[in-house]
Amino acid sequence: MPRFFSNKRLILLLVGVIVLVALIAFSLKDRQSANLPEKMVKDVVGFGQSLFSKPAHSITGFFDDIDGILNTYEENKTLKARLTEYASTEVELADIKEENERLRKIIDKKDDLRAYDPIQATVISRNPDQWEEKIIVDKGENQGVKLNMAVMTANGLVGKVVLVTKFKSTVELLSTENQNFRVSAMIPGEKDIFGLMEGYDPERGELIMKRIDSGFEVKVGQKVMSSGLGGIFPKGLLIGEVTEVSTDDYGLTKLAYVRPAAEFSMLDHVMIAKRQSATVKGTDDPGTSATEGEDGS
Amino acid sequence: MTRFIIPLIAVVLFFLEPVFSLFSPIELGDVRYTLVPRFVIVYLVFIASYYDLRKAVLYGLSFGLLYDMYHIDIIGIYTFLYPLICFLAFVIIRQVHRSTGTVMLLSLFMVVLLEMMSYLFASLIALTSINFEVFMTARLVPTVIANVIFIILFGWLFKNLIYKRVVEKQAGM
Repeated sequence: MPRFFSNKRLILLLVGVIVLVALIAFSLKDRQSANLPEKMVKDVVGFGQSLFSKPAHSITGFFDDIDGILNTYEENKTLKARLTEYASTEVELADIKEENERLRKIIDKKDDLRAYDPIQATVISRNPDQWEEKIIVDKGENQGVKLNMAVMTANGLVGKVVLVTKFKSTVELLSTENQNFRVSAMIPGEKDIFGLMEGYDPERGELIMKRIDSGFEVKVGQKVMSSGLGGIFPKGLLIGEVTEVSTDDYGLTKLAYVRPAAEFSMLDHVMIAKRQSATVKGTDDPGTSATEGEDGS
Repeated sequence: MTRFIIPLIAVVLFFLEPVFSLFSPIELGDVRYTLVPRFVIVYLVFIASYYDLRKAVLYGLSFGLLYDMYHIDIIGIYTFLYPLICFLAFVIIRQVHRSTGTVMLLSLFMVVLLEMMSYLFASLIALTSINFEVFMTARLVPTVIANVIFIILFGWLFKNLIYKRVVEKQAGM
């Protein structure tokens, strides 16, 4: 048996461990912003990455197209059935929108929490060791993306921007287990019910909505959407549907399990929502200190 | 010519990893299976066992650092793990007969080891709360299956390429 470690190697290993611990401690401290070398690496690697991802997307897109053609007949039948319904709904919607605008003018209210400008972005990579649910998209500061903006697909909210560089930004998905990741949410109804999307149950594959006032009655099947009260997110982005309601650990507030409306796997194109009315710091901003002792289960 | 191909393949694999992870997680039934592509480390194990430990560690350091900076945002995890895995692979391959089969097996073993260590790190700094059993079934096993396919498909290619480079070097080019 040859000697496993010579003295030189042992010292090298020890120094390595020390440097490692120091670096981890250093980078764990502040994960909200990246320093200059990090940003440069992100942009440069990101550029190379998009060279690989875009062809990959077009290949998967091709297979999706074939799949789509095969389903055309079935889809066409159901779509035709819904078309008549759609036409009347559209007329109604246009009417309501117009009325809404007129009423807004009357009361002289210009800000609308619902209004946002979408920024179309392509997903170029997903964190390969998937401990954290993060994706990187090909739009950054130069295209108007800012920290904590909402990110969604056609189906609903998927996450928010956690790190921005000049040309790329990192998005953390709703399915994260990060305790500091919150989204201010509401369940619309006769009386709007407010709460916070906080945490994810990996075994159920469902999101958890916490801090719902116990005076409200939440029903299974109700839709959950962003409330716009968090400061950065626009109002009315669909998050999911309530599947189960229970009380939290202390019995003071309710919590609801929410099945997400959007798919978190196979993401290729996303929209970043840039709210039109002024943004403020709030619960959607993880910079606000976390409440200790809250434990989702 | 092969001189440039060796690092080029490493770069290509580095960029392919996140593309393949776009397909993950896969939902079968009610369980979400996470596939983690570990292409770079497989390649580095091949380099360490057939070519040169020094080169492998050097590649490991630089790709680990890039990986940390670009994907993880915590610098130091893979910067440390990649070279460590290369070194361990080198130590082990010296003890056993070096054939393509053993190197393939070794690279698979190293993928498992890397996955375990990254799980250890992730639970240490509270990135994940899944217990070991769930980790084994929903993550480690699918990851191993995915990487076995990769190793079987590309193991021979890597071996031949690296071998060609070694021969070239011995000829004094």
